[in-house]
Amino acid sequence: MLGSRLTPDAAIAGARPGPRRRVSRARVARGATPYLLLLPVAVAIGAILGYPLVDLVRLSFQRYGLFELIRHSGSWVGVANYSSVLRDGVFWHTLLRTVVFTAANVGLTMVLGTLLALLLVRVSAWARVVLTAGLVLVWSMPVVVAVQVWYWMTNFQNGVVNYVLTSLGVGDFFQHDWYATTFSQLALVTTLIVWGALPFVAITVYAALAQVPHELVEAAQIDGAGPLRVFRDVTVPVLRPVLLILTSLSIIWDFGVFTQPYLLIGQSKITPGNYLMGIYLFEEGYFRGDYGRGAAIAILMLLIVAALSVVYVRRMARMGEEAT
Amino acid sequence: MRSRVFVALLAAVALGVVAATASAAGSRQAANRLTVWLQVDAQSGWPDVVANANQQFERDHPGWTVDVQYQNWGDHLQKLDAALAGGTAPDVVEMGNTEMTKYMAAGAFADLTGSKSKFANSGSWLKGLASSATYRGKLFGVPYYAGSRVVTYRTDLFKKAGITKLPTSLAELTADARKLLDRNKQRGFSPIYIAGTDWYVAMSFVYDYGGSIARTSGGKWYGNLDSKRSIAGLNAYKQFFLAVSRASKTTDEIHPNPYDVYAQGLAGAMLGPSWFSCCVGKYKNVTAQFVMPSHVKGQPMPGFLGGSDLAVPVGSSHQSAAVDWIADFTSTESEKALQAKGNIPNATNLLGASVNERAAARSWFVPTAKHWVDVENGNILRNMLAQILTGKLSVKQAASSASDNITRVLNQS
Amino acid sequence: MSAAAGAVRARRRRKRLRRAGWNAIALAVFAAMVFPVYWMVATAFKSDDEIVGLTPTWLPEHPTLAHFRAAVEKPFFWTDVKNSLIVVSVTVAVSIVLAFLAAVALAKYRFTGRKLFVVLVIGIQMLPQTALIIPLYVVLARYRQVNALSGVVLTYMTFVLPFSVWTLRGFIIGIPKELEEAAMVDGSTRLGAFVKILLPLVAPGLVATSVFAFIQSWNEYIFARVLLNDQAKQTVTVWLSYFYGTSRHIDWGALMAGSTLTAIPVVIFFLLVQRRIAFGLTAGAVRG
Repeated sequence: MLGSRLTPDAAIAGARPGPRRRVSRARVARGATPYLLLLPVAVAIGAILGYPLVDLVRLSFQRYGLFELIRHSGSWVGVANYSSVLRDGVFWHTLLRTVVFTAANVGLTMVLGTLLALLLVRVSAWARVVLTAGLVLVWSMPVVVAVQVWYWMTNFQNGVVNYVLTSLGVGDFFQHDWYATTFSQLALVTTLIVWGALPFVAITVYAALAQVPHELVEAAQIDGAGPLRVFRDVTVPVLRPVLLILTSLSIIWDFGVFTQPYLLIGQSKITPGNYLMGIYLFEEGYFRGDYGRGAAIAILMLLIVAALSVVYVRRMARMGEEAT
Repeated sequence: MRSRVFVALLAAVALGVVAATASAAGSRQAANRLTVWLQVDAQSGWPDVVANANQQFERDHPGWTVDVQYQNWGDHLQKLDAALAGGTAPDVVEMGNTEMTKYMAAGAFADLTGSKSKFANSGSWLKGLASSATYRGKLFGVPYYAGSRVVTYRTDLFKKAGITKLPTSLAELTADARKLLDRNKQRGFSPIYIAGTDWYVAMSFVYDYGGSIARTSGGKWYGNLDSKRSIAGLNAYKQFFLAVSRASKTTDEIHPNPYDVYAQGLAGAMLGPSWFSCCVGKYKNVTAQFVMPSHVKGQPMPGFLGGSDLAVPVGSSHQSAAVDWIADFTSTESEKALQAKGNIPNATNLLGASVNERAAARSWFVPTAKHWVDVENGNILRNMLAQILTGKLSVKQAASSASDNITRVLNQS
Repeated sequence: MSAAAGAVRARRRRKRLRRAGWNAIALAVFAAMVFPVYWMVATAFKSDDEIVGLTPTWLPEHPTLAHFRAAVEKPFFWTDVKNSLIVVSVTVAVSIVLAFLAAVALAKYRFTGRKLFVVLVIGIQMLPQTALIIPLYVVLARYRQVNALSGVVLTYMTFVLPFSVWTLRGFIIGIPKELEEAAMVDGSTRLGAFVKILLPLVAPGLVATSVFAFIQSWNEYIFARVLLNDQAKQTVTVWLSYFYGTSRHIDWGALMAGSTLTAIPVVIFFLLVQRRIAFGLTAGAVRG
């Protein structure tokens, strides 16, 4: 056996023993099929990313600054880059801050996104069109633009947010400085990221909800299951793969997020006191032109995010087994 | 069988598409094409000066074309780094004068010392610009233009407050600011708008009081903000800021743009580049400028001399043509045209008597240390100013911690 | 009137009331989500004085098209829109086809190396993009793909492909096994059955994925910025950056107008495909 199995074939195998007795040529064909299907993606990614990835690993073991960059050659320094990062107190503080930040962002994104998708199912058709259109409008906003708008709404001089809060009598927000403390800065970044991620999560979950068979829902309802039970026993099993993917993707994206915090907080306010990992990498590795150290930080980030999402990835893999 | 054919076919089509995209036309450098990276300011501000220089160059070099590609300040260094790594750097690149040292030290630019005489007025280049393009006695860049910082003010508000003559000392300016404040009780009104962490302004106070950011001794750099004179300057800045500006104490001079605050009617004056007068909205006709006075009566306060240099990356295969183009672009005629657009020309013999140019008479420049740009980008100065103004730390504490940081960063290997 | 009929009517009324409640919530969510977008568009129509004004106005007092005119007349607008359209359509078309094939392989076949491939696909997305800028640039420069749209397409594929494979796999796995088995029993051939049965079922997933791929590549900025030097070869997000990349005056009105224009193609694309998502529910239920 070539270690390949076509699922439906196997599923029917019991009912129709025919294929089992066929000549081995058919098996070879089956064996090659998944590889042929994967080949284009593998070739495309390998050809474009293969060398840069090797390069990144190589750089992380080299002294590679602007001087070396211009001459296209670094000098080997063993694990010096890694140990310098791991001995850096800023790294550990940043890591802790980023983990908390990621948890808050992913949690908010997933819960609110799923609630939005469920809302989409419950509303009338016209309201669904309106809400989806709104979501897409939000989604269609380039991140760089969204950042400008966010800044524009929260600016110190005449931000509309301060105006609204003052008008509503929440307090005196005249020229309130939203960028004065790290907490306030990161809270603003969180609103921006969650706002921007909601459409993707909501629409994807909604699309996955479309796969929930009506018959099953109806059958469950006839059996007397309440809405919560229907959700748990019928909807969630169908949603689970998509929810897991979305959660792990969100973890991956939010952990390494760079553009939103960097542009919204603004380069001039970035200090080690408000670094997130993506910014730490950029500032310490690239902005300073210490590419070797930057590469080491990148690889450490990869390992950390892999560790953070391993639970999800393993569950994914297990579910994959169940499904096949 | 059918399925196998189907899969193979799909895969082939897919691969074909990938191959087709991959082999689509790339950029091939023409032998006689000179690639120039200028900042976008030239495109929006003086495209005619660029066009004239190109024409001149193409007349003198038949068969050549100049390809000017405009860049943004925000990410042009990142682009330059990538291009240096990929061996596709342009033939001429515009650099901010505080960005030069790091690249000169790394050997990114061609040595232009031998060609110096080819550039017009090279004997009388502005000191601030020329020194930013010089490293260990060698010339790696050509001064392009400069800009100084001045006080842009509302003539109507000054008159209403009873200010009849322009201040000639810091004390007079502070007194005038008090008068402005008395006449304008509107909430959020700054007699003189300064962003809290505008280190260009704050360091002008430091230099005015005889201090400095860093000093060098025995080949080593030392942060100097904790020196007695520097601290006197920082104290003066703190008092002045608290008296005259209602800006956020933690914000920089871009968020918001001071001229936007001014255009809102929320400032009697603002400190910044002279081109700030461009964007004052409905106050265009009641706006004028004067030179920021020193704490010593009758003197201007030293201002930061910002500016740009033009350099030739070492990877360029057209270095002599690049030098010729730079010579055309920095000719006396070009510089005069730049001057007409409100810039400071690159040489003292071309200087006129505008407020902008008079302010440049006393100027300071950042330490020409290899790692200076890391101090700037690491926001060590801005962070210190925010700590001082918000009262989180005393002037002395904040200055000595910033000073230690500067010493550490400047002496990195 | 019988008691039973009354009960039915009461239940129907309750149901209608509940739906009205959901609709109201939907409208509130819509308003909150869309406000920033609205603020961008409204600012684009305001005069300069009104934009910097101390008290924000909810509606432009003297609506003006001046900022839109300024944006459209800014050099290279149309060229760069065209470039973006080329980059995005090629990226999306190629990526979705390739990703679908790979997703089928991952979701429906068992073979040696499958896990490795999954790990690779996930791992690639964990790499911080900023770290890849320079290594990627060096490779593309070697193949003369710098300052060329094709180089940008190739770069975008590296992050659109893993994502698309990953999400499409989720959609394919989500299809109840019974449906496939039923199809097989109906006598369809192996892959033919897949295409016939899978495609309609996965359609909402394909659409959602391609919307995502479209938006992702339309909005990408960092790689496009570093890879494309020539303004005639840049994409529209890079074009936009010239509004705020200057050390001089930032024209907020024109920036907001330019941003609004930039968002329009995404909205159009979505309108073209939204039926597939909006009616995905029924499509899923009908299932061939």
